[in-house]
Amino acid sequence: MKADKTDGIYSSYGPEKAEELKLLENMSRDFAINELREGREERDTYPYAPLDLALFHKAEELGYFTLLLDEPDEKLTNQALLGHVLTILSMEDASLAGAVFAHSLAQMIIIQAGQAAMLDKIQDGGSKAMQKKKESPFIAFPCFDFPDNLARGLRAEKKDEKYFLSGEVNYVTLGNLASWALLPAQVEGKKGFSFFLCPLGDEKVTDSFAVLSLGLRSCPAVDLAISDAEAVPVGDIGAGEIYYEAVEALFAALAASISLGVMKGSYREALDYSRQRVQGGREIINWSELRMMLSRAAVQCRTSEMLVNRALHESELGIPGWEDSARAAALHVQEAACHVTSDGIQILGGNGYMQDYGQEKRFRDAHQLKVLLGHHPLRKLEYIKFAEELDLS
Amino acid sequence: MNHKGDRPSFVVKPELEDMITSMQALNQLPRGMLRETRQVLKEAKKFNRKVVRPGALELDQKMHQDPNYLPWDFIKEANRRGFYTMFIPKLFGGKGYNLPALSYVLEELATECTGMANLVGVHWLGIATLTASWNMRLMNKIMRDVVEGEKVGDPRIITLAITEPGAGTDVEEVELLKKARVNCHIKRVNGGRLINGSKIFISNGHLSTWHMVIGYQDFDRPQETTVMVAVKTGSRGFSFGRTEKKMGQKACPASELIFDDCFVPEENVCFDAASVEEVPVWFGRPKKSVEEYTAQVIHYVLSTSRAGVAGFATGVARGAYEEALRYAVETEVGEKRIVDQEWARCLLAEMYKNVFLARLSYVETNYANSLFGMFRILHWKPLYYFLKFTPGEVLDLVMPPVLNRDSITWLIRKLCLDGQNEEEMRQTSGLASLSKFTASDFGLRNCQLALDLMGRAGVQHNQGAEKHLRDSKLLQIYEGTNQLNRLNLFDCLIGRDLPDVRTFEE
Repeated sequence: MKADKTDGIYSSYGPEKAEELKLLENMSRDFAINELREGREERDTYPYAPLDLALFHKAEELGYFTLLLDEPDEKLTNQALLGHVLTILSMEDASLAGAVFAHSLAQMIIIQAGQAAMLDKIQDGGSKAMQKKKESPFIAFPCFDFPDNLARGLRAEKKDEKYFLSGEVNYVTLGNLASWALLPAQVEGKKGFSFFLCPLGDEKVTDSFAVLSLGLRSCPAVDLAISDAEAVPVGDIGAGEIYYEAVEALFAALAASISLGVMKGSYREALDYSRQRVQGGREIINWSELRMMLSRAAVQCRTSEMLVNRALHESELGIPGWEDSARAAALHVQEAACHVTSDGIQILGGNGYMQDYGQEKRFRDAHQLKVLLGHHPLRKLEYIKFAEELDLS
Repeated sequence: MNHKGDRPSFVVKPELEDMITSMQALNQLPRGMLRETRQVLKEAKKFNRKVVRPGALELDQKMHQDPNYLPWDFIKEANRRGFYTMFIPKLFGGKGYNLPALSYVLEELATECTGMANLVGVHWLGIATLTASWNMRLMNKIMRDVVEGEKVGDPRIITLAITEPGAGTDVEEVELLKKARVNCHIKRVNGGRLINGSKIFISNGHLSTWHMVIGYQDFDRPQETTVMVAVKTGSRGFSFGRTEKKMGQKACPASELIFDDCFVPEENVCFDAASVEEVPVWFGRPKKSVEEYTAQVIHYVLSTSRAGVAGFATGVARGAYEEALRYAVETEVGEKRIVDQEWARCLLAEMYKNVFLARLSYVETNYANSLFGMFRILHWKPLYYFLKFTPGEVLDLVMPPVLNRDSITWLIRKLCLDGQNEEEMRQTSGLASLSKFTASDFGLRNCQLALDLMGRAGVQHNQGAEKHLRDSKLLQIYEGTNQLNRLNLFDCLIGRDLPDVRTFEE
């Protein structure tokens, strides 16, 4: 791929702002190559090696964790920029992008619930719990499940105008790194589910050893067991679904951006390898079946890029129906990434299966990312309801 | 595009015989094979229940923590339970179960862990390589050593060392071997051979006692100078290099083998295609060229080993299906059990179909191996029943001196190598490739479907499905990538009717 097709996504901004955003994009590319490519294999041995916290802090300094909070323009947000940054990072290692995704999703739900002030509190580390634990600006969130489904395992009880959470919730991303987790729970006597901010330093919240997962291994996640821990309601009780649905489509586009990065990284690695590796007396790119595989991957990368850019562009401008574009892009790109990364290993043969080349990690990451925001087939099943506005049970 | 005529002028195959291998086999194979298959499957299921399932995730996790860990406990337990001698013919002191049953055993083990199934299966790849040479003296020596290892509780397993840093696909196909960048040199010296070079990705390397090493006397003509030798761990000049950090099948180490002036005595030279021309005249002149014998031995090995890979793949497809089914029955999403949703039922039916078709593909290949390939002589009814009903002690007493005679090796080679015509070789090898890529594609597909069905649980290590996915991907790569196997099928079963088409040229 000669160049990334990114110029279009900045067309909504003025030339000065577009230049500034381009600068951040270039910086991200350098960061990905210099920081993420190096040590990728070692980081991936987490949870049996220390988590590279320095990397998280560098990403924080670069502003990735607060990108959606900064509004470059009165009408516009940084959605497209964040999407593009996530793609760039994920070409080398998608784990950090996964962490930015989870944290940003939690932020947006809180803002959607009209509780932006809570974010300042978290940033400042103002709770007792946070004083016990090392101060962390991150918010944990279980972004691989549907929140309504998770809420069945967690109940909130109201006592003296305060809420107390009990139950279990699995695979909470950043759960061992953050001071707060945004969790969905059911409140007795209320329909639907509600979001609560739960302090993770509380002794009534027990976290498991970091979960060993298929992919995104250095984007840590834990299972939580909560026993009568005081938690802060986020927005109205019972309104969780409204807040989540308001942001879910945007994050579908961002999820697609991460899968796109993984897919592009795999394609480029395969392309480089195929120009160097010789079998049967010639570079393997000169075997037409292998070139066909590369071509299929190139087509998938380019069409996925078009879908993601279009979805982000529409969402940024609020073009009617942008939500459908975002959801469709996610469903398509997440699936395509699994195929491309599988071929990405295949092209490297035995070498692709070993950790040295990064292809096997991309394959694992792509399959893990397919579950981002919940069961893929069920999201597909839901899509027709959203797209055609059907009243289906 | 230049189409030469309205209709193709060549005769379109496949012939009926290509498609009804099982029907041809019905009357020719001994009926006792079914009973034996039931017996070994029972052992495999018991082994799964007691050892494989309880230990699979734990061992995988341990390997994640320490990629250099070697699973000796598992090897010793498999050895104790007879999994390394089960299919060794009674002629060589083994239990003599029929070899096609091995695929079922590998399938069964792979339902729980393909890595552990490999710890068993790769040994049989080593045995197949040894057998493909029909060097009866060396077969007798090494196989009896394996049997002795079982008796004394000291596993002596075998592996195959063929892949090199610069040659993976190339060494799996004679046509490509001509241009391969090989580095493992085998030189004829006084009293034996001297090996220099290295091999990579050798499954079970660090755990094996015997290594069937394929090397080349002349790098400019590897297809004419291929030599197979048996190297014993501990030999001077032979050492282990690194173990690879693999995505899956972690239980089974992939080793680097290093040869630095490693001497192999002549008695451990298993097969030297060039030496067929040195056979005394009274043994009869060779029927085929050196290159053809080399091709035949490679096809012999791959025709059995690819059926084994199809067994692994069917197992992983079934394992993924079973995990998905369990989850679908036990889990509610959207206030409904997953299994109560129609889309999930169709997905499970698709997975069931994939398992079934994957299995059919290797069963058919095994029939071809029994009728036309490596198993043929062992499944010849008079020999089969003679070995079955003659007490092992009698065979142990009578056979070794007979098997050690050069004339016996000559006779068996005459029967097996010269006795297999090119059409039979093509049919067996073509079907083996078909089963390999069919089953491994289904294996990976089922793992992906299981992950789809299980959602977040599917990507957590403790649920098992993600391990199946990681394990399954390697099945599309080893024993020749699926792309090479498609080309081999084309060459064997399609290209044979197109004399002007050269499969590996374009």
